[in-house]
Amino acid sequence: MPGILIRNAFVIDPLSGVKGEVMDIAIRDGKIVEEASTDAVVIDAARCLTLPGGIDSHSHVCGTKVNFGRYMSPEDMRAGRTARKGVMHVTSGYSVPTTFGNSYRYSTMGYTTILEGAMAPLEARHTHEEFTATPHQDMLANTLFDGNWSIMEAVKEKDVKRAAAVVAWTLSAVKGFAIKLTNPGGTEAWGWGGDVNSIHDQVPHFGVTPAEIIGTMIQANELLNLPHSVHLHCNNLGVPGNYQTTLETIGLVPDLNRDRQSLYLTHVQFHSYGGSTWRDICSKSEDVARAVNNTPQVVMDMGQIMFGRTTTMTADGPMEFKLYMLHHNKWSNHDVELETGSGITPVYYGRKSLVNCVMWSIGLELALLAKNPWQCLLSTDNPNGAPFVKYPEIIALLMSRRFRENERKMIDPRTEHFVPLFAIERELDWYEIAVMTRAAQAKALGITRIGKGYLAPGAEADVAIFPLKPDEIDPSVDYQQVMAGFSRTRYTIKRGRVVARDGEVVVEGANSTIWTRANVPPAYDMSSDPEFTKKFEQYYTVRMRNYPVQDIYLPRGVRIDTEASL
Amino acid sequence: MKIEDVVCPFCGCLCDDLVVQVEGNRVVNVENGCTLANEKFMGDHRLETPIRRSGKKWERISYDEAIAETAGILLDADRPLLYGWSGTYGEAQTIGVHLAEVLGAVIDNTSTVCHGPSIMAIQEVGHPGCTLGQIKNRADVVIYWAANPIEAHPRHMSRYTTFADGFFVKNAFRERKVIVVDVRETDSSQIADEFVKVNPGGDYAILSALRAIVRGKRDIIPPNVEGVSREQLFRVAEICMAAKFGAIFFGVGLTMASGKYKNIRNAIELTEELNRHTKFTISPMRGHWNVYGSNEVFTWITGYPYAVDFARGIAFYNPGETTSVDILRRGECDACLVVASDPGAHFPRACAEHLARIPTIQIDPHVNATTHLSQIQIPVAVTGIDAEGTAYRMDGVPLRTRKLFQGSHPDDLEVLEKIYAIVREAKG
Amino acid sequence: MKFFLNTGRTIKQGSFVERKNSPAYLEEASTLRMNPVDMMDLMVEDGDHVSVRSGVGEVVMRVRPNPGLARGRTFVCLGPYANHIVSPETHGTGMPDFKATMVIIEPTGNPVSSVAALMGSCGGVPYED
Repeated sequence: MPGILIRNAFVIDPLSGVKGEVMDIAIRDGKIVEEASTDAVVIDAARCLTLPGGIDSHSHVCGTKVNFGRYMSPEDMRAGRTARKGVMHVTSGYSVPTTFGNSYRYSTMGYTTILEGAMAPLEARHTHEEFTATPHQDMLANTLFDGNWSIMEAVKEKDVKRAAAVVAWTLSAVKGFAIKLTNPGGTEAWGWGGDVNSIHDQVPHFGVTPAEIIGTMIQANELLNLPHSVHLHCNNLGVPGNYQTTLETIGLVPDLNRDRQSLYLTHVQFHSYGGSTWRDICSKSEDVARAVNNTPQVVMDMGQIMFGRTTTMTADGPMEFKLYMLHHNKWSNHDVELETGSGITPVYYGRKSLVNCVMWSIGLELALLAKNPWQCLLSTDNPNGAPFVKYPEIIALLMSRRFRENERKMIDPRTEHFVPLFAIERELDWYEIAVMTRAAQAKALGITRIGKGYLAPGAEADVAIFPLKPDEIDPSVDYQQVMAGFSRTRYTIKRGRVVARDGEVVVEGANSTIWTRANVPPAYDMSSDPEFTKKFEQYYTVRMRNYPVQDIYLPRGVRIDTEASL
Repeated sequence: MKIEDVVCPFCGCLCDDLVVQVEGNRVVNVENGCTLANEKFMGDHRLETPIRRSGKKWERISYDEAIAETAGILLDADRPLLYGWSGTYGEAQTIGVHLAEVLGAVIDNTSTVCHGPSIMAIQEVGHPGCTLGQIKNRADVVIYWAANPIEAHPRHMSRYTTFADGFFVKNAFRERKVIVVDVRETDSSQIADEFVKVNPGGDYAILSALRAIVRGKRDIIPPNVEGVSREQLFRVAEICMAAKFGAIFFGVGLTMASGKYKNIRNAIELTEELNRHTKFTISPMRGHWNVYGSNEVFTWITGYPYAVDFARGIAFYNPGETTSVDILRRGECDACLVVASDPGAHFPRACAEHLARIPTIQIDPHVNATTHLSQIQIPVAVTGIDAEGTAYRMDGVPLRTRKLFQGSHPDDLEVLEKIYAIVREAKG
Repeated sequence: MKFFLNTGRTIKQGSFVERKNSPAYLEEASTLRMNPVDMMDLMVEDGDHVSVRSGVGEVVMRVRPNPGLARGRTFVCLGPYANHIVSPETHGTGMPDFKATMVIIEPTGNPVSSVAALMGSCGGVPYED
C-alpha cells in the first residue's frame, strides 16, 4: 500500500498536545509515521479540522437486546432505510439501525472505534457476531457482572481476589473488554420482580449491597490491571431524587490508578435528578458536577437526551419496567440466568414535556459545569438518550450559547425554573470537543497503549477530516455549520485506508475486536475451581465447555494482555 | 471416538449435553438425547449426489453443474423467493440474506408458518421473557399453553422446567406447579397439576377472562368461558398471582388457531398484567432448531425477522404480503430456492403446486416432500453433525455446534458462497 | 360427517421427518385420530381408510381411535397429508389455518397415496431413493 499524506490539516490532537496547528500527517501500513513514502496518495485537507478517529465509549449497537430492539420495532426500521449502493449493504432503522446502518452512519461521522455498553456473558457470541457485521469500527464489549452469582458470593466473603479471578476467567471466556455494572444488585432483585433503591439495600438472598459490589469490583479491577476502570451504571436510574445515590456512589471511589480514573460513571444525566416525584423533578447537575470536579478519580459521560423518538434499552430490567409503567408503550424484558437482565421500551422525548426539558438541560449542564473536559465525555447512551446521529447537534449546543437560547424559546417555558442551564455562559471550544469525543475516551478506556485516540507517529491511522475551517468560522454564531460539518466528514480514514468520503462509505470494512486477558496465577484459575464449575453443572443451562466464545468469532481479534497482581 | 457436550441440531431446545460416539463418518451411539435426537444423529439415509429433474426422470449431476444451474435460474428470475433457513447455521443464513439483497429477492424463514404471528404480536406489545435457566432456577409455576413439549420438545421439561431442579427450587417436581392449557388431551396435559381444556379457537376468550380476573373484575366472568368453568379460571389466576416466579410457554396452538397473532398479543398482555403483582415471563416454544437464529440474522442485517422483500432495493416487510405462503398462493414468484426446510410437506397444497410449476431448487441433506417438486436438489452436510456453525436456542442463547466428523458432502455455507459468487459477478 | 381438523407435532412425525419416503413416515403422517364413538357412527374401524374433504381438496387417510379427542374433533400430525386439504388463505397474517379446517369425512376403499405420489399429484415428479 502506498500510504497517505494529508497536507494542510488543521490538527487538534489533545493526547499529543497539539491544540490547533496546520500541519501534515503521514500514514503508512495503517500507522501514523514521521514521513510518507514518495508514492503516497496526497489528500489536501485545505485547513479543515482534522482529528483522531472518533471513539464512542458507551453505545448500544450490537448484541441480544439491541437486536431485539430491531426485532420488535418494524416502525423504527421503516424510519431510516437506504438501498444497496456500491459497497454499501441495505440499511434499515433510525434509533436502532441494522449493524451496517450503525457502521456506515458512525463512519461518515468520523467514528472509528465503539464500545458496546453492555454484553451479557452468556450471550456474548451474539455480540461478537454483530461486531463482525459492523465492519468500519473497532469494537469493544463491556461485560456485565452486576448480578453475577459468583461475584456476589465473593463479595459476601469479602474476597476481592476471588472476585478478580471470576472476572479474569469470564472476560477471557467471552472475549470481553471491561467490567460493566448495571444497577448492581438490582438486576438480581429483578429476578423476583424487585429492585434495590439505595446503594445500601441488600440484594435478596445474596446478602450483599450495591456499595459492596461496586467497592469490591473497583479493587478487583485494579488487581487485574485492566486497561479500563469499572464502568458503572448507577442504581436508581431515572428516579427523581437519585442524585443522592450518585453522590454517595462517587463518595465510595478510591484513587487507585495513576493513568486513568478508578471509576467510569456512565450516562450521568439520567442520575442527576432532584425532587421527589415527576412533578417536582429538578436539575442537580451542579451538585453532581461539583462532586466530579472534586473527585479526579472519576470520569463520566453525559447521557444527553435529545428531543424526538428513540428506543431505550439497558441491562437495567427493573428500570425499563418502571418506564413502561409510565409510558405504556410496548415493553420487552430479558433476564439472563446467574448474570444480569435487560429491558427495552420505545420513548418519545417531547419539547412540551417539562420532565423531558429538564432532562435535556441536565445533560448539557454536566458538560458545561465539568471543569475538566477529560472528565466528561460526549454521549447519548445511544440510543437511550438519542440516536448517535444527534451528536453533531449536541456539539453545536455546547459550542453556542446563542443556539441554546434559541432552543429555550421552543421548550416548555417553565423549564428555566428547574434548571441552571440558561445562566451558564460557557461555550466549549474545538479543543474541548476534540477531548470529549475521542482523546478522553481513549484515555478513559486505556487504549492509547494500542495506538488509539491520537495522531503522533506510531498511532493507528484512524483520522477524521471535517469540512470545517476553525480559523474561518465562529461556532458561537455559525452553529448550523458546526452541526452540518460534524455530521459528515470529508474523509474518514481507518487503519490507513479511506473508508468514507463526503457521507458515503467507499470500501468494505475489516474491523478488529479488542478484548482483555488478565493472566492469573494457577491458584486463581477458575476453570478448575469446584464451586465455580458447580454453577455450570447445576444452575446454568449451558455446559461450561460450550460457554466460551471460540476464536473464530474474532477474525481480527486484538488481545490486550495484563498480568494480575494476585 | 466419544465426543462430549455435543449440541443437538433438532429442536429449539438446543440441548448441549449429548455424548455422541462416532466411528469413521458415522454416529453409532447417542447418550442423553431424546428420541428425536437419536433419530437425527443416527440417521443414515442421505441423498448422495446432486440430482436434476429432466422431463419425468431424475438424473445425477455434479456439484459444479448444480451450483451453476442454480445461479442461472436465480439470475433469470424476476421475483425469486429464498425460503427455509431454520435447519442451517447463522453463517450460511448470512450469505442467504446477502444473496437475496443482490438478487432483489424475497427471503423468508420457517417462522412464517410457525411463530410468525408471535413476532407480529411482539411487534405490537413487546416480549417479557428470559433465558431458560432463569426459569429452571426460580419458577414455581410453569404454564404450557397450546404446546405439547413431550412430543415436540421432549427434554424441555427435564432440562428447564417440570423436572429440572434449580438453585431456588431444590425439588422441582414437588415445588413447581405445572398448568397445561390445550384443546385436547396430550401426554403433556396428563402430567399437569391443572389441565385447562379449552374449545378450539377459544384461547383468546380464556386469556381475556384471566386478564379480567387479575385486574380484579371477577364479577364479569360468565359461568363458562369456551368450555372452561369460571371456578377453574379463578383457580388458575390465583395460582399465577401467588407465584413467586411464573413462566408461560406457548406453542403454535396459539399462532395457527383463529385469532392468530391476537392470541399471542393477549397472552403477552396477561403476562405484563401479572408483572404488576409478581414476576412473570412468557416464551414461544420455537420448534425448528435454529429458526430463532434465522430471525436474529435477518434482523441485524435487514431490520426484520422474516418475510423480507428486497424488490425495491430497500428492505421491505409486510406479513400477509411478503410471507412465503402468500407469495406462492398468489403464484407470484418465478423461482424458489429452498434451504434446510420442507415447504412441500409443510405448506398448503396450493403452494406445493406452485413450487412444482416454477424452477425450485432445494439445498438439503435428505430426500423430503420438496424433493419431488424440485428441479434440482443439492445435498449438503448435516449441520451439527458434519458441519459446524452458530445456532440460537429458543431463548436467544447462541451456541456453536460441533463438527463430529469430516463427511463427504460440502456444507450449506460452501454451496451458498459459490452461488453468491456467481450471482455477484453477474450483477457486477 | 362433519369434523374439525387439528394438526400438530408428534414424536413419530419428528423421528421420521428426515425420511419422508419411509413407510413409517407415511403411516404417521396419514393417520387421522378420531374419537372412538365418532368412529362407530361413521362405521369405520382402526386402520380403515377414510376420505377427508375440505373446501380446497380431498385426501385419503387411515383412521385411528383416540379417546383423548372430543367428539367431532380429529387430529393429524402436521405434514403433506393434512396440508393437502388446508386452505392457503392467511387472512393477511402469512399463517394458514393449519389448526382449524372443517372437513367432511367418509369411509372409502381408495388407497392412501405415498408422499411421492401425493407430490406427483401436485405437479411434481416422484423421486424414489
